[in-house]
Parts: sequence; structure tokens; C-alpha cells
Amino acid sequence: MTVDELLGFFDPKLCIFDLKARSRDDALEEIVDLVAPEPESNNRRIILDMLRNREALGSTAVGKGIAFPHGRSLAVSRLMAIFARSQEGIAFNSLDGEPTYLFFALLAPPQDRSNQYLPALGKIIELVRNDSMREKLMQVTSFDGFSAALREAPTS
Amino acid sequence: MMSQQEQLLVALQDLDLMLKETEDSQDQFEKLGFDVSGVEELRKAREQLLEKLDRTNLSHYERILKRYGRAVAPVTGDSCLGCFAKLPTSYRSSLYEGKVRTCQSCGRILYYP
Ligand SMILES: [Zn+2]
Repeated sequence: MTVDELLGFFDPKLCIFDLKARSRDDALEEIVDLVAPEPESNNRRIILDMLRNREALGSTAVGKGIAFPHGRSLAVSRLMAIFARSQEGIAFNSLDGEPTYLFFALLAPPQDRSNQYLPALGKIIELVRNDSMREKLMQVTSFDGFSAALREAPTS
Repeated sequence: MMSQQEQLLVALQDLDLMLKETEDSQDQFEKLGFDVSGVEELRKAREQLLEKLDRTNLSHYERILKRYGRAVAPVTGDSCLGCFAKLPTSYRSSLYEGKVRTCQSCGRILYYP
């Protein structure tokens, strides 16, 4: 998958550059608010349950200040990627015990015909493995800045 | 309004999807650096869901799951996304409040977002 293909799943409206949340649960809620804003909606509750279950399976905060909450749900109709950032860092039960600053959430429908879910997840992980990329992403202030940073990633 | 039983069935379907995908793609997830060791936790969550489900709904879920691989289909417009059959508009009325709605053509349990 190319960076541009990956960027196609992100959306300027699905970005938070300054998460207010201080806890894992609040962070997941703030992220889901972007895709299902109605507080009482079925979709909201179902997506949140799915993401919480995914964290019960094992923390998606893989360390180095990054987390990749992800999963499939009936409440999701197409593959969507969300970028969220916390300036202060969030205790997200990370594998290295450090706070988490950068969140890349990937939500997929139960079945995506072209099967882009795992490749998209793999691509984001590959891009942000790089230390200087993470530093850049801590600085960006707009979706354009975010896209530009990812496009400048060194090709492996 | 979704009934409580419908909500449980949708949650169960999402959970079963996660369990199946974890099993099918465990190597891929681990290669990506993910911890997927908590399958037992998910099974416990599943047991708790089952305790709240009516027996008839659960047996319907299991029968349809066996037949199609997935028991719950989302509804868009007024069509079942499992088989694309048109659904009665009355499904959205209060007549069905508290009930579990299923597709009359394929039998799948319906999820009205
Ligand atoms: Zn149907």
C-alpha cells in the first residue's frame, strides 16, 4: 500500500491535534466522538464496546508513545483512519509503560472486499516506526501538515 | 430504537468477529507488534453476553452464524445488507419495539444503526 492510498482513509474531519482526555477510556470516547457524535447513538456504543474489547485482548499501545486502536464492527460501513494526538500524554496501558501521545485508530466494516484493513494497519505502523517521523507528527498543526509529513517518510 | 436483545446480538457478533480474526490472523498481528494474548478475557466477555441473551435469540444467532459465517447484517435504506432484500418499513415502527428484527428472506438478525 502506498502512502497516498493510506492517506485516502484519513479525513481532515477525523483528526484531533489536542486530545483533552487524560485516561484511556476518555481517549477512546473522544476518538469515537469523531465518527459517531450523537451521544445516545447505537453506533457510538457499539464501536466503543469493540475498541474496549480490543484493548482487553491486549493493549494497542505498542510503546514509543504510539497506539493503534483498531477493529472491525457492524457499526462501521467503510474503512476509516483517525489521527489523534495528546500533548501531555495518556496512560494507555502501553507495552513499555510509557505515556501515549500519538493515536492512529483504524475502524473497519466486518468485511472489506478489497481487504485493505490489515495492509493499512501495517503501513501506518511502518511509517511511524521512525523516530523523526514521530517527532514531526508531534509538531504538525493541520491535516495538510500531517499528510505532508507522512509523504516525506523515507521509503523502505 | 434497538431493543436490548438486539444490542446484545450486535455486540456478540462484533466480539465473535474479533475472536475469529485473532485466531485467523494471529501471526500477522504479532508480526505487527501487537499483544493478542487476552483471548481468555474476550471469552469471558462473551460468556457474560450469553447470560443476558434469551435462549431463542441465541439459538437463532448460532443457526444463522453456522449458515452464513455471520449472523447479523446491517440495514441501509430499507435493505438487508446480507442478501439485499427489501425490508418491511414497519420494522422501523413502534410495533417492533423491544423485538429482535430478522430478514424475512435470509433469516439474518438486522442491525438498524
Ligand atoms: Zn437478508
